[in-house]
Amino acid sequence: MRSMTAVLDRTRHGRFALAALLAAAVAMAVPFYFAPFQVFQLTMVLVYAVALAGLNLLVGFGGQISLGHGAFFAAGAYTAAIMLDRFDTGHLATLPVAAAACFLLGLGFGVPALRLRGLYLALVTLSLAVFLPPLLKRLEAVTGGSMGLTVEKPQPPAWSGLAEDQWSYFVVLAVSAVALLVARNLLRSRVGRALLAVRDNESAAEVMGVRLSLHKTFAFAWSAMFAGVAGCLYTWVIGFVSPDSFSFVLSITLLAGLVVGGLASLYGPLLGAAFVMYVPSVAQDLSEAAPGVVFGLLIIAVMFVAPTGLAGLASRAGGAVARRRAGAAASDRSSVAEPPPESTSEPSAPRTPVDPESVEAEPVGAPPRTEKE
Amino acid sequence: MSTLTDLLQQVVEGIGSGAVYASLALALVLIHRFTGIVNFAQGELAMLSTYVAWQLMASGMPFWLALPVTLAVSFVGGMLVERLVIRPVQGAPELTVVIVTVGLFIFVNAAAGLIWSFTVKAFPQPFPDGGIDLAGVRMDWSTVGIIGVVAVVMGLLYLLFQHTSIGLVMRAVACNPESARLSGIRVSRVLMLGWGLAATVGAVSGVLVAPVLFLEPNMMGGVLIYAFAAATLGGFDSPVGAVVGGLFVGVAETLAGAYVDVIGPDLKVGVPLVIILAVLLVRPQGLFGRAAVERA
Amino acid sequence: MSGPPIDGTEAGETAERDFLKVSGLRAGYGQARVLHGLDFSVARGEVCAVLGPNGAGKTTTLRALCGMIRGRGSVTLNGAELLGRSPEQAARLGVAHVPEGRGTFNELTVEENLRIGAHLRTRGRWRGRGERAAVAADLERIYEYFPKLRQRSRQAAGSLSGGEQQMLAIGRALMLRPALLLLDEPSLGLAPLVTRELFEIVRTVNQEERTTVVVVEQNAQLALDIAHQAHVLEAGRLVLSGSAAQIREDGQVAEVYLGVPARSGQGG
Repeated sequence: MRSMTAVLDRTRHGRFALAALLAAAVAMAVPFYFAPFQVFQLTMVLVYAVALAGLNLLVGFGGQISLGHGAFFAAGAYTAAIMLDRFDTGHLATLPVAAAACFLLGLGFGVPALRLRGLYLALVTLSLAVFLPPLLKRLEAVTGGSMGLTVEKPQPPAWSGLAEDQWSYFVVLAVSAVALLVARNLLRSRVGRALLAVRDNESAAEVMGVRLSLHKTFAFAWSAMFAGVAGCLYTWVIGFVSPDSFSFVLSITLLAGLVVGGLASLYGPLLGAAFVMYVPSVAQDLSEAAPGVVFGLLIIAVMFVAPTGLAGLASRAGGAVARRRAGAAASDRSSVAEPPPESTSEPSAPRTPVDPESVEAEPVGAPPRTEKE
Repeated sequence: MSTLTDLLQQVVEGIGSGAVYASLALALVLIHRFTGIVNFAQGELAMLSTYVAWQLMASGMPFWLALPVTLAVSFVGGMLVERLVIRPVQGAPELTVVIVTVGLFIFVNAAAGLIWSFTVKAFPQPFPDGGIDLAGVRMDWSTVGIIGVVAVVMGLLYLLFQHTSIGLVMRAVACNPESARLSGIRVSRVLMLGWGLAATVGAVSGVLVAPVLFLEPNMMGGVLIYAFAAATLGGFDSPVGAVVGGLFVGVAETLAGAYVDVIGPDLKVGVPLVIILAVLLVRPQGLFGRAAVERA
Repeated sequence: MSGPPIDGTEAGETAERDFLKVSGLRAGYGQARVLHGLDFSVARGEVCAVLGPNGAGKTTTLRALCGMIRGRGSVTLNGAELLGRSPEQAARLGVAHVPEGRGTFNELTVEENLRIGAHLRTRGRWRGRGERAAVAADLERIYEYFPKLRQRSRQAAGSLSGGEQQMLAIGRALMLRPALLLLDEPSLGLAPLVTRELFEIVRTVNQEERTTVVVVEQNAQLALDIAHQAHVLEAGRLVLSGSAAQIREDGQVAEVYLGVPARSGQGG
């Protein structure tokens, strides 16, 4: 039995490596097979993916909600734009500064907002997202006001022989790959495990000695940092920032994308980013309101039927296949989002299809976490 | 005009807008008390109600007939929202429910744009022009009317909760739903009722503010932020707090816009952010909230 | 549900003896099964104690009876099936549950708590002119049982002491005029003196109103003092049933299952 799992494990590792290699090869080849506008769109998908990976740390794993990640995205974008415009620092220097600035900003707002329930974080971030655009307009001397700032995009070095859009793509690909890896490793670290503990059971985690508000605040700061990095990349790719690009709608769209892509999944942000990029551009052809209708309905639908989002569906389907192949219960439900909203409070609802007779007995006194015996 | 009358003038105007924030905050607090969640779609539901009123008036109905019809429609609409959108995630983690209300926010906003377009519509002012003059402080009839309507709504709610048996049942459910069920109360029906009531109270804020802000799908976005600040200040569990908080936020916003040069009319929207942060730092449970804010 | 037709008196006697009839009750939480088939009956007007160590499934039993969790098997109260009903439906059939931790409405006044208890009686099939007066009379009766509640009738329930809250919870349950009163660990967190007073009142209520009571208790001595019948639950199964006296006399059983040295002069 043990050797069997080991084999399974090894093949899974092998398959993962193979898939990663394949993905890398495809990612490298993409800009040579698509038109510049399509390459630009893919680049933006990567940019959003970084922001969503950050939001995922907070929402999917931290169980907190931010309705204002657009504000941190904007802060990162403006930091980069101002550095390029006023101080001519060169692109590379803007990245760490934008990241650090947003990390500190997140820390600053996280401290008061996270002393209590996560709800207040949602309120504070929402107010921040609404407040930021008029503030940016007001600080005209630095931000260029409503007109915004136009900055230079990173230029491909002569040796590469690449066009501007291709170079942007590769630069963003490199940064986002690193960012996604960092996000992944953060989750596997002590911090990540503490976050999961907090999300799954706050009071129990606290009893176990997890310093709750500290972890939540740092999760928020990390998350803001990722949004800032994404904003910085945005400035590089677009070469232009203006207050109206970062309205409250951006924040809501980011959250929507994450939820649809899949909370608490490692691939969710990528899928969600594709959503954020393509759904508006497709739906907008129908009507100005269509993207909102689609996003709104999708969010609600996802929460109803598949709280793990697209990524969850995929891994569930994958799990089912693996189970059939291995003939064993796949423990592969790595996606650890909320349990489906069962209506446990509704005893008149139909009984669970699982026949209790077949269930192994005796976990006396160890009921699931929400109910007391 | 002396500085004092000028100040009083600003305060009066602040109370006028504060009354609107108070009624939306009251809607938020009602739902929070019943379900422990914050309904991010509350403002959008109010906006939708306002469109209903507009549509009724556009088809020739006078305002004072359109209003009760709108409130009735809002009541039913609120109950339907609870039944169709919130009930399926009842008992799910708070995060799930909050995300659902955000989804509802996006959907309602866009749906209103789809039906009525995003162009701004004029909304008739139900109160007569002119006003009264109190020692140099001018009070428009519209301000008087807004304050009066909100006061009537508060009074009715007070009577409902304190002096009717259904009000007692509703308070019991808000306080301890499990025990309420054990006493034979059909909690799910009471929750529907609560959402209907909240939607009605929210609709009042939408209809009152529409003549000032003009009707468009994003009309309530700003009001919602002020209402959040009001509810945070008053305490998310306190209806009285919502009202006091609303008036305070209204006055603070007006004064800040008028007297603090750095803020001015364009940055007034920063006032609720500052208020929320200050409350969280100084008195997180709000002025009238209970000390234990944490709810399981 | 009922057996073959038998003559009236016999059926009547069965109905009295099996006023509450639990057959093959299985229940649990999600995948975790706690109860593995319980069978017992409680006669009308009797007090039945369910004893057992922590985690044996005592609370789960009560929760299944009142509809807070789903159970399988059959539970009938005066012939009506209780399983598959929601708590509010069970309450309508006359089941009043006083949950562990009391479950009072802390923001409501004491009197409002009691009125909520009678909520069902002023609506639906019970509604009538006479019922309002009856509720008022019951309120008076509860205040006689629990004079402390009268003193505090305008106070918020949350401001009461633990013992007073437990009294209020029982009072609220009685306002339903229940056919079956379920008490879950009434002694939990209370001082011994208060607990004894409470159990005395439960005994009085049972004697005066003929209310059938199922009480779940850790404190076996106290529960056995007021009970007619008792059952010992272990790991989700009944391991011993009998009259309260029998259970108390069974020294070994008491020692093993109840954790109390038999008749050691404890309690008094």
